[in-house]
Amino acid sequence: MELLRDKAKSLLKSGAVQVVIGYAAGSATDRFRPHFARSADEADRLVFGDGCRQNLAVYLLKPEVRAMGKAAVVGGPTTLRTLLQYAVENQVSDGSAVALALEDGRVEELTSFAAVEEYLAQRPHGLSEEDRAELEQHAGRSREDRWAYWSGELARCIRCYACRAACPLCYCEQCITENNQPQWVPVASDAFGNLEWNVVRAMHLAGRCVNCGSCAAACPQNIRIDLLNQVLAQEAMTQFGAEAGYSVRKEYALSVFKPDDKETFIR
Amino acid sequence: MPRIGVFICHCGENIGATVDCAAVAQAAGRLPGVVHAVDYKYMCSDPGQSLIKEAIREKRLTGVVVGACSPRMHEPTFRRACAEAGLNPFLCEMANLREHCSWVHEKGEVTTQKAIDLVRMLVEKVKRNRPLTPIRVPITKRALVLGGGIAGIQAALDIANAGHKVVLVERDPSIGGHMAQLSETFPTLDCSQCILTPRMVEVAQHPNITLYTYSELESLDGFIGNFRATIRKKARSVDESLCTGCGACIQKCAQKKIPSEFNAGLGRRTAIYVPFPQAVPNKPVIDRARCTYYKSGRCKLCEKACPTKAIRFDQEDELVTIDVGAVVVATGYDVKPTSFFPEYGYGEYKDVITGLQFERLASASGPTLGEIRRPSDNEVPKKIVFIACAGSRDPAKGIHYCSKICCMYTAKHAMLYSHKVHDGQAYVFYMDIRAGGKMYEEFVRRAVEEDHVRYVRGRVSRIYQKDGKLIVKGVDTLLNSRPVEVEADLVVLATAMTAQPDAEELAQKLKVSYDGDKFLNEAHPKLRPVEMNTAGIFVAGACQAPKDIPETVAQASGAASKVAGMFSRDELSREPVVAVVNRQPPPVWSTCVGCFLCETACAYQAIEREEIRGRDGSLIRTIAKVNESVCQGCGTCVALCRSKSIDLQGYTNEQVYAELLAL
Repeated sequence: MELLRDKAKSLLKSGAVQVVIGYAAGSATDRFRPHFARSADEADRLVFGDGCRQNLAVYLLKPEVRAMGKAAVVGGPTTLRTLLQYAVENQVSDGSAVALALEDGRVEELTSFAAVEEYLAQRPHGLSEEDRAELEQHAGRSREDRWAYWSGELARCIRCYACRAACPLCYCEQCITENNQPQWVPVASDAFGNLEWNVVRAMHLAGRCVNCGSCAAACPQNIRIDLLNQVLAQEAMTQFGAEAGYSVRKEYALSVFKPDDKETFIR
Repeated sequence: MPRIGVFICHCGENIGATVDCAAVAQAAGRLPGVVHAVDYKYMCSDPGQSLIKEAIREKRLTGVVVGACSPRMHEPTFRRACAEAGLNPFLCEMANLREHCSWVHEKGEVTTQKAIDLVRMLVEKVKRNRPLTPIRVPITKRALVLGGGIAGIQAALDIANAGHKVVLVERDPSIGGHMAQLSETFPTLDCSQCILTPRMVEVAQHPNITLYTYSELESLDGFIGNFRATIRKKARSVDESLCTGCGACIQKCAQKKIPSEFNAGLGRRTAIYVPFPQAVPNKPVIDRARCTYYKSGRCKLCEKACPTKAIRFDQEDELVTIDVGAVVVATGYDVKPTSFFPEYGYGEYKDVITGLQFERLASASGPTLGEIRRPSDNEVPKKIVFIACAGSRDPAKGIHYCSKICCMYTAKHAMLYSHKVHDGQAYVFYMDIRAGGKMYEEFVRRAVEEDHVRYVRGRVSRIYQKDGKLIVKGVDTLLNSRPVEVEADLVVLATAMTAQPDAEELAQKLKVSYDGDKFLNEAHPKLRPVEMNTAGIFVAGACQAPKDIPETVAQASGAASKVAGMFSRDELSREPVVAVVNRQPPPVWSTCVGCFLCETACAYQAIEREEIRGRDGSLIRTIAKVNESVCQGCGTCVALCRSKSIDLQGYTNEQVYAELLAL
């Protein structure tokens, strides 16, 4: 914790960044909220703990945050992956943001995409064992079972779009749901519209999602929508060898064709 | 308020017999926004078109729906009619009541109902149509011809003679192609090189033709009228500007036993070589894979021999970029080798050769100086067997098609043999004789009647060697399928003509379609035989399908006249069906977030970056922009865009959605 605060203070003091995006204590001991430290005093309120799960990279693209100047963002591997995916999608340019990578209480300052790539290359890729086990458990069920599960789960969605707000890769200024000429996705919270919305969101994130889990964490109805993203991320991996957010040179799997692409999904 | 006119065509009986056209018109008349609806026997006829024009003027129509055939057939007709009456042609849409309805359904209530549905969809669409104007694109009046065989030579000369610049690219060290290898040509028996070499020289001397030999197409970008070709000039290892073609280097070369490609493997060449004496250009190249210097680092005999110091061992491949307006693909064919035939000895019998090898034996410039001598012992064969359809028309060999030229050249071969070996006997095993063409049948009859070639109708099951002879076991199906056995001295296989081994790769480079046999596809088998589906790319010769010289030359001239026709205009006009990125008033500017994932999805490199800047020049944001002259309107970017910031003019999301909702 002290290391993080010291690092933040030195960055702010030297003028290397104008704001450090981190976590501060929230409304309860196990709750945290995003904190934008712009001075040494504010940096003293930075904390880090197990409950700090929200992907703070989402704030990098907000006009209000951009207006503050160059930012440093605190986070783990998925936050770093978001940064690289932003680079692939031309949202953040090299050197315009600093990442403060946290691991076992240590802080590493990564100032370039190359440094972030190198940092990630040394750490395990893909899903954690638990996540994989959970996916396999879902995949093992029959098609009807899964349909019943998802119909039931998505019927509970209240269309608050908290998932969209929390997701760092849902950064469109005008979401498809806000488009009413034509109205692609029905806006009312009914079973069909909910299904459509959540499937469209999952498809829009296929091959881009970095599996940070912010969407599920933000969901007030506790729907595990991140599972949909994980399945599609795995699919992108097995079909195209594409893993989002590990390299700035990666091409988007869904927009490029390579002669050696597997086409096992065409039956 | 929209004022839509609906015009239902009977197409004679085509639609009228199955669909109740009057009922469709009546139903259409009740649709909201439709102010005029009629049916007529032939809407595409002059009186039919007049109906449309009059209605546009009298009823002040804002949109027209013609319920008739496929838009592929008559959309231009009806759009032109609308334009003549003063309505923007893109406010006219067609409902396909023929291919999509009457032709595929039985007569009945439901069929008529479907026709009404189709019309209703298009009425909803046309209400949302916006006037569009055609896009004008400039033309670069320079053509690229790929392949320097007779097809490429002919096309290049014709285009050049029409007054346009041509770049001719050939991957071998000399132009000439397969035709230069042939001895005589059917059905006149005039010497192939005698009629070809004047054309080759003309190419070399033509002021409008730039010749790149020993070069290959690296990539082709762009679109009709505005292609950009990158050509790899492979290192010749010889400075062409200094070389005089004296041949001193060739005489000194230490490698003398390399099978000559030009002689189809029957002759030998050196590592520094010109493929044949009349080569154009007559400048040697070093075959680096075979050259002693490149293999061992020592030798350089050629360098010492060269009087003009033209040898360049350190020369590197050069990439040349050229802007061209049209491309003619004339990359030719390949033939199956004898090793393709296990039943005929896997290519291990020296005296079983291909037709192309026989051409070299019969040619005065060949390894035997025109005498027919067999490869194994240089003896004159007294009995010779020609096998037509070796591989062709044989589904078991994976070749379904007829190679088309073998019947004729086999007759020619047998004839040439009879002319040169007076005491010899020629046999031809054949399946059918296909001699369609001017003087072709007469030619084959001459082989049989005047030159006494024995034609045996049947196939050869096996060839094996015995006592220095080749035993050819076949069958004569005209004599009760009696087995026939010939003890031959030489066997010539008319092996199948195939696409070039890298035809598929080339097609992908050019983004043109090809068939299962890797032959390139013309745009229409009957009506557009020299164009390809990619606009601005034309095809000539055997890269499209097996064909003989007259046909190849005709197609090459056809392709050249298409190119010349295109170049006779200063700009092209094309349909404005292109993608556009939306623009909105500030502070939104556009809903595009500039992720540029569409950039890689676009197969035509049509996505560009547009910087939106404030009055003080500061960058506000960077968004995608579609280059309308490059965009082909395929819609891939539209589907990919998550925020739906790209739309396809003429097929906007709004229009298609309205169509579907009307259903």
